[in-house]
Amino acid sequence: MKGSPSDPLAQLLSLPIGTPVRLVVNGRSWEGWTLPPDPLSSPRVVKLKVGSGYNVGVHVPENAEVEVRSGPPFGEERNPQNEKAQPSSSAANDGPRVLLLATGGTIASRVDYQTGGVRPVQSPEDLADVYPGLFQDGPVELRTVSEIFSEDMTPADWTRLAREVDRGFHEGSRGVVIAHGTDTLAYTAAALAFQFRRLPGPVVLAGAQRSIDRPSSDGPLNLLAAIRAARYADLGEVVVAMHHDPSDVQVDLHRATRVRKMHSTRRDAFRSLNVTPIGTVSEGRITLTEDHQPPQTGPPEGQFGFGERGALVWLVPGLTAEHLESACEDARGIVLAGTGMGHTHRSLIPWIRATSEKGVVIGMTTQCLEGEVDPFVYARGRELQRAGVVYLGDMLPETAYVKLLWALGHSPDPSRIKALLTAPLAGEMSTRRTLDEGSRS
Amino acid sequence: MKIGLELHQQLATGKLFCPCPSELSEASRSQFFRRLRATSGEAGALDAAAQQQAARGRLYRYEVTPSSCLVEADEEPPHPLNPEALSVALSLAELLDAHPVDEIQVMRKLVVDGSNTSGFQRTALVAVDGVLQLNGRTYSLPTFCLEEDAARKVEAKDGDSAYRLDRLGIPLLEIATGPEIRSGPEAREVAEALGALLRATRRVRRGIGSIREDVNVSVEGGARVEIKGVQELRLIARFVENEGERQQKLIAIRDELVARAVSPPQAPVQPVTDLFRETTSRSLAGVIRSGGGVWGFALPGFGGLLGKSATDPERLGRELADRARAEGIGGILHSDELPGYGIDAATVAKVRSRLGAEEPQAAFVLVAGPDPAVALRALEAIRQRAEQALSGVPEETRDPLPEGRTRYSRPLPGRHRMYPETDVPPLRVPADLLASVRQHLPERPASARARLEREHGLSAELAHQLVRDGEVDVFDLLRAQGHPPALVARILTQDLPPLEERRGAPLAQSASERARILDGLLVEVARGRLAKEGAPPVLEKMVVEGLPLPAALTESGFAGGENPALEVQVESLLDREHTLWEARGMAAFQPLMGHLMASVRGRIDGQVVAEMLRERLGRRLASRTAPPEGASPTG
Repeated sequence: MKGSPSDPLAQLLSLPIGTPVRLVVNGRSWEGWTLPPDPLSSPRVVKLKVGSGYNVGVHVPENAEVEVRSGPPFGEERNPQNEKAQPSSSAANDGPRVLLLATGGTIASRVDYQTGGVRPVQSPEDLADVYPGLFQDGPVELRTVSEIFSEDMTPADWTRLAREVDRGFHEGSRGVVIAHGTDTLAYTAAALAFQFRRLPGPVVLAGAQRSIDRPSSDGPLNLLAAIRAARYADLGEVVVAMHHDPSDVQVDLHRATRVRKMHSTRRDAFRSLNVTPIGTVSEGRITLTEDHQPPQTGPPEGQFGFGERGALVWLVPGLTAEHLESACEDARGIVLAGTGMGHTHRSLIPWIRATSEKGVVIGMTTQCLEGEVDPFVYARGRELQRAGVVYLGDMLPETAYVKLLWALGHSPDPSRIKALLTAPLAGEMSTRRTLDEGSRS
Repeated sequence: MKIGLELHQQLATGKLFCPCPSELSEASRSQFFRRLRATSGEAGALDAAAQQQAARGRLYRYEVTPSSCLVEADEEPPHPLNPEALSVALSLAELLDAHPVDEIQVMRKLVVDGSNTSGFQRTALVAVDGVLQLNGRTYSLPTFCLEEDAARKVEAKDGDSAYRLDRLGIPLLEIATGPEIRSGPEAREVAEALGALLRATRRVRRGIGSIREDVNVSVEGGARVEIKGVQELRLIARFVENEGERQQKLIAIRDELVARAVSPPQAPVQPVTDLFRETTSRSLAGVIRSGGGVWGFALPGFGGLLGKSATDPERLGRELADRARAEGIGGILHSDELPGYGIDAATVAKVRSRLGAEEPQAAFVLVAGPDPAVALRALEAIRQRAEQALSGVPEETRDPLPEGRTRYSRPLPGRHRMYPETDVPPLRVPADLLASVRQHLPERPASARARLEREHGLSAELAHQLVRDGEVDVFDLLRAQGHPPALVARILTQDLPPLEERRGAPLAQSASERARILDGLLVEVARGRLAKEGAPPVLEKMVVEGLPLPAALTESGFAGGENPALEVQVESLLDREHTLWEARGMAAFQPLMGHLMASVRGRIDGQVVAEMLRERLGRRLASRTAPPEGASPTG
């Protein structure tokens, strides 16, 4: 949207946002306040906020007239009753301290209507404004680690987060909460779980499926439950705290290596697969199942960092060895998501064998997500195993991928990597599954 | 008096932001629970109305129905704006000489009372500056908006609120008038005229609650008060008059308070529970027995102005009580009504002394309840309302009550509760849609009336009723099937409406479905299997009991096939009664007709019976010289 200095459009765009203006277009008069340009608007359309509060788009031809009206800019004629909550008024300073790491994403950002963009929550005041009651239960220390949506996270961010968690425990936090975008939240959770061998308290990741600028956001319940679990739960492992169902009542605590985002939009998108959640937070009450890791005494211990050149490939009908070759070029390790109990088309076996013989670690998971892979039931499984594929039980494909990257980061030796991949390290696999477990329980 | 209206008409186009049908449903599949909080709007300010609602911190229950999906559950982002709903809105804008905006921006209007799952109502300004010409006057129509209807409230007890999701998201076309209406009856006329235009688009929902009005009233020296959600047009005039009266009353109270030089009430709240230990007031005794308490404060200068409920329907005391109710307190006690309610003069004197309300013109207010925090909030709200009395009429939103009165609901919402719906991109009104809307404008009510009179010979009154009730297209469809205009008009204007009112719902929402059902009935009449007089009882079964036509016929005793054909009955009657007609000739027609009608009344049109009897009797009389052998009917 450009124009000459006499162009009314240019004149409008040069005004500060919130300026009261009158716009006359072909004899029709529009009164309102200027708004930031909307990148989604049509050419030469400007947004005005009119007296009733509505925003409207007005097409501004070159013969339009612009006049600045008298009166205060929009947003400055506030009702004095409408002042924001101050965190200090209700902050509690006793009780175990929780470190809250903000990474960006829906849960820790708010829409900035002045710029039209999304900005991260940076100050405790901001946080208290968005999450009333956050500081009521005890001290919360806020640290902004990054300001990115979770789809932009990389393994380097997983390492950085682990170091922040480590630092938090060393500085005396009872637990750590990580506010994280939901898209890759499960990957980050698994990445943290594999990096820590011992944890003195809970590490709880929480996200929001509905943005926190809406009154119905699921963020507050998830975050408050996460903080409660971090402060009080008898846990020494990494968990994900998200809605149990569409109601704002119960939050499930999912084991980091078992959880998966199973819906693009619903609040209860996160599900534990092949196991039941290890606990719940409901109306402030924490309940844990017997299958949970209690806090370890002493400082946290772990091996931080990830290797490179790992791949995750879905084995779909029609996939050829050429596809595999181009997808896995240079790979040091590959996780396959096979069909059923871990199968694929016979034409791929020669490539798999040759690649394995070059020292590339190849692991097999199931694209069914639920249930385990088994090389012994069908001949194809036995062939694949003979070709060098290691079968990874009921490990989720994404969890296996994260574990592979972690193993690649800590050993150059394929046989050592294979050993790490198949050994249970962070509750990521089990030998026993019951009828009432998994996402359909 | 200045009056403005906002009409909200449900559209029968499917929902505004998802593909669910615009249908209500009594079936509930499952439920879920939610909390809402107030968030700050575009300018970072919290809206007073929104804040008040959210402060209650309730857990809302929602019932999932077959006509709701993840969008209504706030589990999926809104889909693009329904183009059919937009085209209805643009049609109406065009009919009323309004101007569509260049680009539509869907907004979120914060409403955190639980009536929607998102915490806001999606709404968009679609057109501006229309005019309505009526009875020689011009009314301005500043805004035309498309918005989502709210969820339907199904239950409210013990602070619990439940809503059904079927209504949430049904498109509402909102048309606002300027404040140029001067009286209650005039407001009703404007509402009716706009309602007829809306129905002329043929794409509006019908039935109770499908059209609702917000009535804005202010008297000279008063303030804008919005009565929200009036469902019955005939009550509009009453609401306007009562509100005018209420505002006059408040102005008179203001004048008296000014004359008494009363200052804003500042007396501290005091506990008075101990003064009521021995009370004979059952409600107070109950509260105290269960561990609750009584608190109050003095209102110096307010004595005699709070009013008595027996003599004074619109009194300041009721205004104060309404504010307490909004904070969760069922009722208040104040000095103008005491002694009374089981509280004696001695107790009143002790309360006055405790609260410092001993001057002759001092009043006091008491609140009782189990939770001191709630009681103190209620007293604070009462204090604020009492202070507002010093300046007359406060701006506010009020809820309509059945008898034409209203009660306080919440502060008037401000523009700070509006912010953009970031999930729906701005929509440039498509030029081809606009062109198509202009080409296919619905028939205006005046021309529809003229056409019905001219082409179908209907009276002006019947034509008016058909247009007013939005039945023109049903009428046209049934006429196209060849049914007689007078009968069709009678069914649509006289027989059907009271039956639909009894049922509490329309026979069917769409004109084509209504026409299809009525056509079945009219075919029975056309074929002579059902008389014109027989139609209403069958229709009653169909509408009130929801029976399909065959069942309705059987239930009403008109099971077509079981009765012998008319001609068989006529012939056997003539055989049976041959002495009668042989003796009296054509004069036997009347008594024979009487016999026949006794057995076919309601089933067969009297005229058809008469024609058949006249013809067969004539034939018998003509061949009397050769009377038939046996009783076999002729073909």
